[in-house]
Amino acid sequence: MQSGRKLTTVFLRNRTSVIGASISALLFILAISAPWISPYDPLKQNVYHRLIGPEASHLFGTDEFGRDVLSRVLKGGQISLFVGIVSILLGILIGPGLGMIAAYAGGKIEAAIMRFLDVMMSFPDEVFGVMVMIVLGPGMQNVIIAIAVLMIPRFARMSHAPTLAIKDLDYIASARSLGVSSLRIICRHILPNIFGETLVISTLWLATAIRLEASLSFLGVGVQPPTPTLGNMVRAGVDFLATAPWVSLFSGLGILLAVLAFNLLGDGLRDITDPKLYAR
Amino acid sequence: MKRLKGVLAIIFAVGLLPLLVTSMAFAGEKVLRIGYDAADLVDLHPHFAQTTQDRAAVQLFFSGLVRYKPGDISQFVPDVAQSWTTSKDGRTWTFQLRKGVMVHPWGNNPGYELTSEDVVYSYQSAANPAKSSRAAEYVGITFKANGPYTVVATLDEPTSPQLFLPKVAAYSAGFIIPKKPAEELGEGFRKNPVGTGPFIFKQYLPKEKLVAVRNAKFYRGVPKLAGVELLYMPDLSSRNFGLMNKELDAIEGPPSQPWVDEMHKLAGVSVDIFGPGEQGTLHFNMSMSPLKDIRVRRAIMYALSRDEVVQTIGPAIGTPAYTEAQQPQGGWMTAAELKQRGQKDKKDYLYETNRTKAKALLKEAGYPNGLTLEFFQTERGEYMIPMQNIQAQLREVGITLKFIMVDHTTWHQKIRANECSLVLYNSIRPNTDVRLTHYDYSESIVVTGKAPITNFSHVGAVDADGSGKISSIDDLIEAARRELDPKRQDEIWKQASLKLLDWASSYPMFVKKWTFARQNNMSWGYPLTTVILNSPVIDELASITD
Amino acid sequence: MIAFALRRILIGIPTLLIVLTVSFVLIRIAPGDPAQVRLGDYASKASVEALRRQMGLDKPMVIQYLEALTGLLRGDFGRSMLSARPIAGDLMRALPYTLELTLSGIFFGAIFGIPMGIYSALKRNTAFDSIVRTLSLGGLSIPGFYLGILLMLVFSIKLNLFPVVGGGDISNLKSNLYHLVLPGLTLGLVMTAYVTRMTRSSVLNTLNEDYVRTARAKGLAERKVIYKHLFRNALLVVTSLIGVYAIVLTGGSVMVEIVFSRPGLGRMMIGALMQRDYTTLQAVMTTFAAFVVSINILTDLAYAVIDPRVRNK
Repeated sequence: MQSGRKLTTVFLRNRTSVIGASISALLFILAISAPWISPYDPLKQNVYHRLIGPEASHLFGTDEFGRDVLSRVLKGGQISLFVGIVSILLGILIGPGLGMIAAYAGGKIEAAIMRFLDVMMSFPDEVFGVMVMIVLGPGMQNVIIAIAVLMIPRFARMSHAPTLAIKDLDYIASARSLGVSSLRIICRHILPNIFGETLVISTLWLATAIRLEASLSFLGVGVQPPTPTLGNMVRAGVDFLATAPWVSLFSGLGILLAVLAFNLLGDGLRDITDPKLYAR
Repeated sequence: MKRLKGVLAIIFAVGLLPLLVTSMAFAGEKVLRIGYDAADLVDLHPHFAQTTQDRAAVQLFFSGLVRYKPGDISQFVPDVAQSWTTSKDGRTWTFQLRKGVMVHPWGNNPGYELTSEDVVYSYQSAANPAKSSRAAEYVGITFKANGPYTVVATLDEPTSPQLFLPKVAAYSAGFIIPKKPAEELGEGFRKNPVGTGPFIFKQYLPKEKLVAVRNAKFYRGVPKLAGVELLYMPDLSSRNFGLMNKELDAIEGPPSQPWVDEMHKLAGVSVDIFGPGEQGTLHFNMSMSPLKDIRVRRAIMYALSRDEVVQTIGPAIGTPAYTEAQQPQGGWMTAAELKQRGQKDKKDYLYETNRTKAKALLKEAGYPNGLTLEFFQTERGEYMIPMQNIQAQLREVGITLKFIMVDHTTWHQKIRANECSLVLYNSIRPNTDVRLTHYDYSESIVVTGKAPITNFSHVGAVDADGSGKISSIDDLIEAARRELDPKRQDEIWKQASLKLLDWASSYPMFVKKWTFARQNNMSWGYPLTTVILNSPVIDELASITD
Repeated sequence: MIAFALRRILIGIPTLLIVLTVSFVLIRIAPGDPAQVRLGDYASKASVEALRRQMGLDKPMVIQYLEALTGLLRGDFGRSMLSARPIAGDLMRALPYTLELTLSGIFFGAIFGIPMGIYSALKRNTAFDSIVRTLSLGGLSIPGFYLGILLMLVFSIKLNLFPVVGGGDISNLKSNLYHLVLPGLTLGLVMTAYVTRMTRSSVLNTLNEDYVRTARAKGLAERKVIYKHLFRNALLVVTSLIGVYAIVLTGGSVMVEIVFSRPGLGRMMIGALMQRDYTTLQAVMTTFAAFVVSINILTDLAYAVIDPRVRNK
């Protein structure tokens, strides 16, 4: 593991990371400050000014109920980001633990768990997500659970290999014979090893989580109207695509920007933490 | 000789062929494909059919004794009955049936001629609460056959033609279900309708479409269309695209000006906006908290602006409504008249928008921070469009409406199962008597009424205003039914409407016309001004030209 | 080679089994009674119960599961709980639409992605490389449904070049292709992004390999070096990773089918999910799993063809 300072320098030199980090930071700021910087209340209707194209008083235009699209995009972005982050955090909470348990347990239990995780990952994301939402019902809480469930196998996989590699090392065996608890071993030896990769994967999967939430909303099983999410706004805008495309266009653009930003950031982070690629 | 006969036969056949081809060409091979805002059909039994998509379907297969003139519901014209007479006292109606009305073939049965036996069977079935959801409308009427082509209806009390003819019209329980197939198919009749209409039921693909083919033996003439397909497409953009793609000939649209504008922009497409339209009334379930409290109900009424909801729908499609009675039916009143009467009675019947007053009422009722109402809501465009605006408006006074989104079929179940606190219901009824009977008569109360229909607000069984007495207009409804003088009947219905407004049992909001978009080469066959069945009548005159 | 193939196929079977089981369980946990839905609200309790018996819904879960399993082995996918039609028929109707969409995605992705990836790696850190890297990142960041809507807006609505929705008549080649262009392009662009990135990074890795450096040092013509080593290696990586991306491809094709209303497996599945049509859903999910497993087996085989060393594993 490189020292903190060296990492920062490398980070700043990597154009991808910088751009990714900047856009991500900007989006975070926009999302957090959404309630204050929104020019209008995202739920307030003004049916005397509906489906108006982008203009001075409505930079992104209005939708079929006269609601300001910019304000709704900001609110939707806030929700998308929130859902993404919470589901990733849930995944981090449960996933690595699962992978480490599997590695430690070994034998049939390990095989069963890993097999099960493999099969979970063999379902296309959107399909699995829709299935979970049908079982749980719509709403933000359930979307978070659905996406977290999808992320868990990935995090589990990620922690599985390093745990396997380390658990058989001599000094671990001697530590154990000395009576050091497994927990301590995990915290001291395994976690630091997977920290870098977790960071990279989290960022990249955050991008996926945002895109997934949008897909689920687009299909109609995510957060329900009138609460705006970028996905359900694209869906609603399709009804008027021919005459008022700005509703779908701008909300979709929001999704693209958010996913792109975190992919850039993740890419950049991977570049700087992957020792193999240092040679480039 | 045999050889000659053979040759003659061949010549005869060959000669007939062009005739056959020409007549078929004349009859046309076009099938009308029409997309509805529905996920699926519910029930094709005409005495039960409630939803728009089902009503559109049953009029293909069934006939009544009389029918509303297609495109103009102000007149009744003959259908299966070619003529009718009334006795002087208005209590006996005699109908002469056409000859040659053929029941559609079904199963192994090639069909048969409809007679008075079938007609009597049908109206007796309509009066039976186990076999009809409109039995209450046939109380006090007896049907008898008088020979194979004559039917006599005897009424306990004299009734005006305006109130009686809808009961035997090609509408609702007036549709005639032939005896043999109805008895043979039993429950199966609901998904396999057999009647005497211009089209014959062929196939039903769940969640997809209903397929009907032309009835070549139809008594008014061979239909121009070879068949009709009703497609179930609850997704508006799919319907729009289907029309754009020319894969659909006509589509049902939402009551939405933006949608109408969008359709107007398409080349080769016409938009039909026609009335009289359905009245949208917000019903408050007075048996459920917090709507038991009249202050909460009045708060909702003061919080809402009818004009804003009408604007959401679009001024060309919607108009504000103020009374339970729908304009221009007996008992309707303008805002001005309501104001006048209010001043005289020292009550407020108009509930002009006043959000401050609304908040004050809520506070008084014990909800200073607002309240939340959660209920089932249908996905259908005609409801979602005004409801979303109502939701946004009520938010301004702290009332949060939470929708549990379900498909239209499920919603119809839920509201009739008394599971919803708030019900926005759009409907047209032939006259004010039917409307008040359905929505405000104590027997029609959902679940607990004697013959439940759609009295969602429980008028007639609860104390609406805290006066200690049951709030009921049963007596007014019955009195108006018996009243033969239209002016006095009008006034009784007005009194009923005023009471309902005072009790805040429901909030009449708007009347919205229907909207359809169709290809220019598709014609309904008549000038489309008004309909009674929520969608244009598709009969033998409808056509698609090249 | 055949032994290798057989081994690969055998490994796929447990996966299919697990998919069947998981979808069976998940679907039955979900709320909603298909018998009630089918008969409607006015049906008597007796007729609902009768239909449940007829549909086999009253049998214990284990029996239902075993019946589904044995039926599958016979090639009988059962009947739709909604329409009572044999599902196999519906599957056969929907499969061609999905197959041609997926194939066009793979084809497009390979045709454009591989050359772009190679060239971008060779021209590393130039403007071209930066542009390609950004575009490909954009390609896998953009939600498939959004890209589809954008293409629909420009090419169907504004320019009126292609039909907006539908699959066209599968038997009519012209109509078929006409309806395939935009959906195929949508999926293809996304796959191109994935393939470009994969190819680029594999080529970069290969460029640093000793044997390539040796070949270069030996003075072989640059071109020859490329053709001989890089291309083959790139092909290897792409082939093996198409297996991985088969899942992305499948998910993407579902969204594209929904956006363009193509009557393929994706729309059939989402429809069955929303309508609680248990049997159809199971059948479609198993078909999808078989699909993914087949792609994996085929790519494993292709890999083995390109690199014979693998066969002995």
